[in-house]
Amino acid sequence: MTEMVRRLLRQKLGSIGIVIALSLLGLLTVFQIIAGGGEGTLESGGFLALLILAAGSVSRDSSSGALQMILARPIRRVEYLYGRYCGILIAYTLYVVTIGVLALVLSPLLRSMLGVTVALSAAGLARGVVAAFLSAALLAAVLLFFSTFLRGYGDVLAYFLWTLLLGLPDALARPLGTTWLSRFGSLARENLLPRVSWGDVLRGQDVFSGAVGAYVLAVTGYLALAALVFSRREFSYGQD
Amino acid sequence: MISVSNVSKTYGRFGRRTRALDGVSLEVSRGETLGLIGPNGAGKTTLLSCLLGFLRPEQGSITVDGKPPDDLSVRARTGYMPERLGFDRELSGGAFLAHHWRLSGGDPARTGEQVAAAAARVGLETSVLHRRLRSYSRGMLQRIGVAQATLGDPDLLFLDEPASGTDPLGVAVVRERILEAKSRGATIVLNSHQLAEVEKVCDRVVFIDRGRLTRSETLRGDAATPRRAVFRVPPTRVADALAALAAAGFEASSRTEGAVALPAAREEEVARAVKTLALADVPVLEVRSSADLEELFRGAADAASGSPGGEAGS
Repeated sequence: MTEMVRRLLRQKLGSIGIVIALSLLGLLTVFQIIAGGGEGTLESGGFLALLILAAGSVSRDSSSGALQMILARPIRRVEYLYGRYCGILIAYTLYVVTIGVLALVLSPLLRSMLGVTVALSAAGLARGVVAAFLSAALLAAVLLFFSTFLRGYGDVLAYFLWTLLLGLPDALARPLGTTWLSRFGSLARENLLPRVSWGDVLRGQDVFSGAVGAYVLAVTGYLALAALVFSRREFSYGQD
Repeated sequence: MISVSNVSKTYGRFGRRTRALDGVSLEVSRGETLGLIGPNGAGKTTLLSCLLGFLRPEQGSITVDGKPPDDLSVRARTGYMPERLGFDRELSGGAFLAHHWRLSGGDPARTGEQVAAAAARVGLETSVLHRRLRSYSRGMLQRIGVAQATLGDPDLLFLDEPASGTDPLGVAVVRERILEAKSRGATIVLNSHQLAEVEKVCDRVVFIDRGRLTRSETLRGDAATPRRAVFRVPPTRVADALAALAAAGFEASSRTEGAVALPAAREEEVARAVKTLALADVPVLEVRSSADLEELFRGAADAASGSPGGEAGS
């Protein structure tokens, strides 16, 4: 699995295009944090970065033929899959930690330039990093699941369609005036793409809430489904 | 060693189903080099993918030493080179080989030594290993693909068009690596359209067409299929050569000027024919004894399509 983590980091962080995109995104997020967005900006600003790091994590290896060469080696499919997942999260953690440190270091200089009076706290930023990591763990699991059976960057597209689909019952419930549809939509969204207020949880509030439970179940569910689909999948390419 | 029993594989769903393999049965002995021959779309890569456990047959079974092909103990002894080399272009050649050495369970402490040795075996200089794979030519990619497949001297080698797109020197390097693996007792399955190369390295070839095994030919050993032998003699001595061979009990013929052919002869018979011609004082300028895979390939294809003149498969 270590080799798979190393492989993902080399693929993603070895690409100049990805490094430039992450640097620009990171700088933008640093400015937003210092300009008053606070540590919560790390979580929302990291969303795009995670999409870049997780997109096509399995499908690209599969379409290039690299996956077949790897699977011809004595390595379990699940090792490959969870190695990719861990690689995504490690790369993402490096990204948010770097942004957090940069924000802290540049804060005194930029605050006076931007005329911001609110100071950043190291503890708050640390909480922001952990919150961003926890949110990313769910999104990465969803993208990994879609990547096990979709081609190219179909995983990212599928994620957006999935969020739209889960929002659809709620959107339809109002004009149709059906409360059960609204309840169904909320239930589906809360269980399949749960949103947890990590800021509160990390301050010790609502640690054992239903949202946290749904989050744990959702991450476990997506990862288990990804392993199931990937272990059953067939791989072929080329001409006969 | 490898046992394929009545394997069928179909692609597609609903109305668009294509039968890629249709009741294929095959045995590959330990240390044997088997060539897969067939036209494009015949089912060769599908068979190779099934042998490697990437595809699961709907019917039949495949075992390697009695174990399923995706068993980790089988994979630990397997080397594989795919046909399409679109892999890991961002990695350097050295990093790519090191990655596969570690994946194969090789000792991390010996990575550098093994990578350098594997590269040297396929004629890649150490300086090339620092370059990214995206800057490699097709021939260099083929070589590093072969180096990757032969890392750690695997017992089982699956090679899919290993010399495709390489220059004559590259073809020779691939051949040497196959012969080297063969000499240490590796079992090799080779899928290639380069029939001359297949003939040089394989002990046996099987012809595949439309998912079926249409013919099997043993090229080496006691069970080898008799080969067509052609003797080139001075055009003025063809009649003498035919007479001498006929007297010695050979059914020789001459359709091309200066060439006398024996339709099917074993190695010892070819040697006896040469001796007969020498004793009859007929100069033998050249002897060619070949399985003529191209001719067999055409025959197998004709037999599969049911056209007249095609030979039935064995």
